[in-house]
Order: sequence, then structure tokens, then C-alpha cells
Amino acid sequence: MRRWLMTAALLALSTGCNKTPEEKVGPTVDGQLEPVANPHQPGDFGELPDPEAQNGSVGRAARRLTVSQLDAAILEAVGRRWVNGSDGIDARATSLGRADFALVSSENTEPNLVFAKFLEDGARFVCIAQAADELKQADPTKRTLSRTLPGTWGDLRTLTDAQVREFLVYNSLRFWGAPLEGDELTKWAGFFTQAATRAETANPKRRADVLAVMCIAMLTDQRFITY
Amino acid sequence: MKKNRTDDNHRPERRTFLKAAAGFMGSTLFGGVPFRAFAQAAGLAPADRCFVFVYFNGGWDQLLAFDPKDPDEFTADRAAETRILPGYNLINTAGYESIPLQPDVGGVRSNIAFGPAVGNEFAKHFDVMTVVRGINMNTLGHEVGYRYFLTGKMPIGSAARGSSTATEIVGQMKPRVPISNIAFNVESYNDRYPGYANALRVSRKDDLLLTLKPSSQMLDSEIEKQLVDFRGQPITCEEAAYGARGVGTTYQNSRGQMEQVMAQQLEASFRFELNTPEMGLLRDAYGLDTSGRYDTEAGRAAMVATALKKGIAQCVTINLTGGLDTHFGTQATQATNQRRGFAALANLITDLKKSDHPSGGKFIDHTTIMVFSEFSRTPLINAAGGRDHHLSNSCAIIGAGVKHNYVFGKSGDIGMSPGTFDLRTGAATPTGENIFPEHVIATVLASAGLDYSITRVEPLRPILA
Repeated sequence: MRRWLMTAALLALSTGCNKTPEEKVGPTVDGQLEPVANPHQPGDFGELPDPEAQNGSVGRAARRLTVSQLDAAILEAVGRRWVNGSDGIDARATSLGRADFALVSSENTEPNLVFAKFLEDGARFVCIAQAADELKQADPTKRTLSRTLPGTWGDLRTLTDAQVREFLVYNSLRFWGAPLEGDELTKWAGFFTQAATRAETANPKRRADVLAVMCIAMLTDQRFITY
Repeated sequence: MKKNRTDDNHRPERRTFLKAAAGFMGSTLFGGVPFRAFAQAAGLAPADRCFVFVYFNGGWDQLLAFDPKDPDEFTADRAAETRILPGYNLINTAGYESIPLQPDVGGVRSNIAFGPAVGNEFAKHFDVMTVVRGINMNTLGHEVGYRYFLTGKMPIGSAARGSSTATEIVGQMKPRVPISNIAFNVESYNDRYPGYANALRVSRKDDLLLTLKPSSQMLDSEIEKQLVDFRGQPITCEEAAYGARGVGTTYQNSRGQMEQVMAQQLEASFRFELNTPEMGLLRDAYGLDTSGRYDTEAGRAAMVATALKKGIAQCVTINLTGGLDTHFGTQATQATNQRRGFAALANLITDLKKSDHPSGGKFIDHTTIMVFSEFSRTPLINAAGGRDHHLSNSCAIIGAGVKHNYVFGKSGDIGMSPGTFDLRTGAATPTGENIFPEHVIATVLASAGLDYSITRVEPLRPILA
């Protein structure tokens, strides 16, 4: 009798411990993806180095753009090539690092003093010329640097903070492929506002310089010349 | 005993150091403007020890330069036996001697015999010169020999190993000059020093001027100041995390150097065409005109002198002259092309001998000049009337830190083969060792008390002053 009672109690307990299957709650939210199994197998890829092991830096070591890449990048970002008569990127290519295949057979991509100075020269040339052109262009779709600004722009102090930030995020994406955000965006917005204020107090007004200085700062930033 | 020393000559005054330190502190706190403060505080003063590496491009005929042979002894009749034909009688151009030069200046006779291409103007500087002969280059390839002499290390294939000697010197000495290291139309390597040791590498003089002068297009002056301040602000953590690290750091260092160079307005120092008394004297000394086109041997020599004397650079490596790869050329072509280089070099040495150095003595007492080519040309003339590549080589070391009016080593009397020597004494011995470029580079480093351990050989001690 006792044996029968023990068996009945164990059966009752085991039934109580069984899980009931979970019911799915509602449909998949729009934009929510079903988990997909990792298509990569171990050995297909090398893992990125641990940021802790390289002073907090993320990803592989960066490389400097070659002269051809720099030429294409300036054209894409600013909207014009660095060619100023007989001067420009072609004339200075050898000192910027391009191989001449006579004495030097491999491109030098070291960002040395000559590169830094010539990039500054090039940035000033293309940015100042492009900014001056864009000041006269009323159609935003035909502009490069000031695509996000109103149709005809003048006093840049009148832009709202949101418009300034939109301008900076758009151009940072254009120049670096990475948007400005957080504290850094605030820093750049302050720089924009400072330049816009000065442009209006100058006599004559130097409105194009605001666009130019932002362009120069972004084009000479290390994020522009590396990948 | 090999030495690891810091630069003994680099002793900034306490006041200057504090001003410079304040400049750098300021740069951290307030942005780029204080780089100017640093530059101004440091001032322009020539380095106490300067170096010039002069490259003759193409492989020179050493019979015409630093290793001549007596044409009366090495005659055409004996060429089959000696495998040497000086061919001085084949230079049918005025101004070239038909025998080796051994000048006598002020009653002192030169111990060094020079080939006819060197010319009397250069040969008379024997009193500040050591010549090394019978160097074994171990290669007949242009790039390999050239990079071997630039670095003191045998390349791997044709790829250079290690740092250029100029970079090594600047890396060890850490000079305070604005552009420590200039490489003019030559390669430069840096495999272990920070960005300050990198050479300012330009391929033509116009590019040097473009590098030194401020950008021609400027923004509103206040906006320019805002840009400088903005660039000098400390970066955010995010920028640091996704920053370009090595490349980015080098670029930032280069930008810092650029700020400093711009502030010094060094470009005017190289405007040789300017109508000023100083430039007039310089043009006279180097035989320049006022055309403004100075991409010549003479113009390059004037550029070297200016860079050193104005305290702009400590090391200059220069491709002085070329056109020496004369497989099909004549003796006259080789001699003429060499002469342009040696004439310019003679003017440079004369200038350095005359110019007072602020630390005392003349500039030549503070400057070491190494003159080299990647290899030499065959001692026999080929069927086309030219000479091909030859293994044995020679070079000259001029100025500070080495013995003067001295010859070390000797090429063989049969086929000008590289010799074997007791390198501690310089005596030729069949059981001795070859002289290699690394011995010469070790000697140049040791002449300034620098660490030469990278060469893995001992310097040629008999040469050291």
C-alpha cells in the first residue's frame, strides 16, 4: 500500500514539473529581423585585434591614401579636382609619394611633412574655390558642401542649431564616411557658429569663408587621408 | 667598444629650454599657435654637427674620380694582363688632365691621387679629406648598391633594410633645427625612430620652396586664427578610439612640423634670385645667375650650404649629379658629367671652409660629407666605348671627425678587384677582410660619437680623427 502511495506521489510531482510550451506573443515587430545563423565559419576571417591590447583603438592599422586615391577622394568630397594651372596634385604627385618608376618603383604613403603641407595647399585651393561658387548657386541640388542649406543662404548665424548639425553630419559623412556625433559634433557646431559670427563682422562679409574653413578642417583631418 | 650615447653637443640653455617647454605646454592647452612660440623660442641656430651625403647617380668611373691608375704603368699594351685601361687620353675635351692629379697647396703635397674628372678645384681640398678605396659592393644592381650605401645594410632583394644613415643620425642626435633631415631626390627610410627623424623628401627644388612657404590662399585672418585654435583642441575619446593611430600620429607630427616651418618663413632663404647682398654673394660663390632656375648641380650645392648654415637642417642627402651609367657613352661623357658634380661640391667645401660656425671654427670643422655612388664602372672599356658595372668601389669622407689627406684601402692592380685588409690598421693582407659599405657608414657614425651597432661591424678606426 505504502509503495503504491509513493509511486502515485512521484507521478504527481513529475507531472507538476513539466514545462508548458511558450506561446509566441504577437507578430514580429516591423524592422525586427529573425536571427540568422552566422554564415562565416571559423577560419574564414581574422578577428579584429582586441581594443584593450592597442590602447583602446578599434580595428586594423590605418593606411594613408595613395595619390590617385587622394585625387579621387577630393573630387568626390569637394566636387572639384585640385588643379590650378600648372600646379596641383599632378604636378606635386612625386613629392606626395607617387612612384616615378624610374628611381622609385613603389608608392610612398608616409604622411610626412611634405604631404601635410601639400594637402593643406590643396585643401585651401579646392575649398575656397568651391565655397565661392556655392555662395552664388541658388539650387541646393547643384551644390556639394552646402547641399543641406536653404536655397539661397546668406547670414549663416540665422541657421538653427539643428540646421548647423545637419550640415556638419552631412559633410562629415561626405568627407570621412562617418558622421559627427556626441561631444565632437557639439565642438564642430561651436566652430561653425564662431566662424559664421566672424564672417558677418568682417568688412566685406566673408560668408564663403565659413564653408571653406569647414571644408579645409575636414579635408585635412586624419580621417580623410586614411582608410 | 661600441657606445650608446646621447648627443653630447645638444645642450640647450636653461632659459631656451624653459621657453620651448612653455611653448609645447601651451600647444597642448591652447592649440596650434604655441608651435610658433616654440619655434621662435628655439630660434634658428646651426647644428653643432652637420652631415651631407652626396650621391653620384648611375655608378661612377672611379678611375676618373677617387681611384685613378697611372696611365704610364697601365698601358693599352698591358691591358690584357692588368685588365685595367685608364683611358685618360680618350677625353678629348679641354680642362681635363691626362694624368692623375696630386695637388700641392701651400707646400703640402696631397697623399691622395685624384682622377681627371675631379678637377683641380675639388682636388685642392685634399687637406680635409679621406678617400676609401677597394670597397666590395657585393652587387652590380643600381637600386641595391644605392640602398646599400644609403643604409649601410645589404638590401633584401632590392628592398632596403633599416633606416637611412641620415635618419639614424637625426634619430640619435635629436637636433633642434626645424627640418632635421632633407632628402633631395633620394630615397629615405625610417624603421625605428619617431616622426621627427623623417626626412623632408622632395624631388625638386620647387617642391622644397612650396613646402617652406605659406599657402598662397588664405581665409579671413580671424577665421584663420579660429582654424588654428580648433585644430589645437584636444581630441575626444571617440576620435582617439577610431583614430588612425600610427599613420594618424605621424600625420599629426608632420602637421606640427609644418606649423613650425611656416612660422620660421624659411622659404626666403632659398630664393637665390633675390636682389640682396647676401644672395649676390651666394650666387657669386656658386656661379649662379638670377634666372630663378636652380635645379642644377651648382644650385643643389647652394641649397645644401643654405640649409646647413642657416640652421634649417642637420642632415642633407642629395642626388647631386647623374648621367653616369655610360655603358654606351664615352670617357668624355662620363668625365663631363662627373665634373659638374665635383665642381659644385668644390664650391660647397670652399664655402664651408670660409664660413664661421657660431660654436667656433669654420663650418667644415662641424660638417661631415660622404661622397658615394652605387658601384663603379669596369676598368676595361667595352666594345661600345663605354664601361659596364664593376664590383669594386671607392668613396670620400670629408670634413669633421675623420683624418685628412689620407687614403684607406686599395683596389687590386689586376682588374681593380676589391682588396682584403687588416681593418684595424688599413694594411693590405691576403688574410684580411673586405671593406664593405657598412664599414664606411659605421665610420661616419663613429666620427660623431654615435652608436654604430646597427651596422654590426667596427668602424675603420685608422680613418677616425
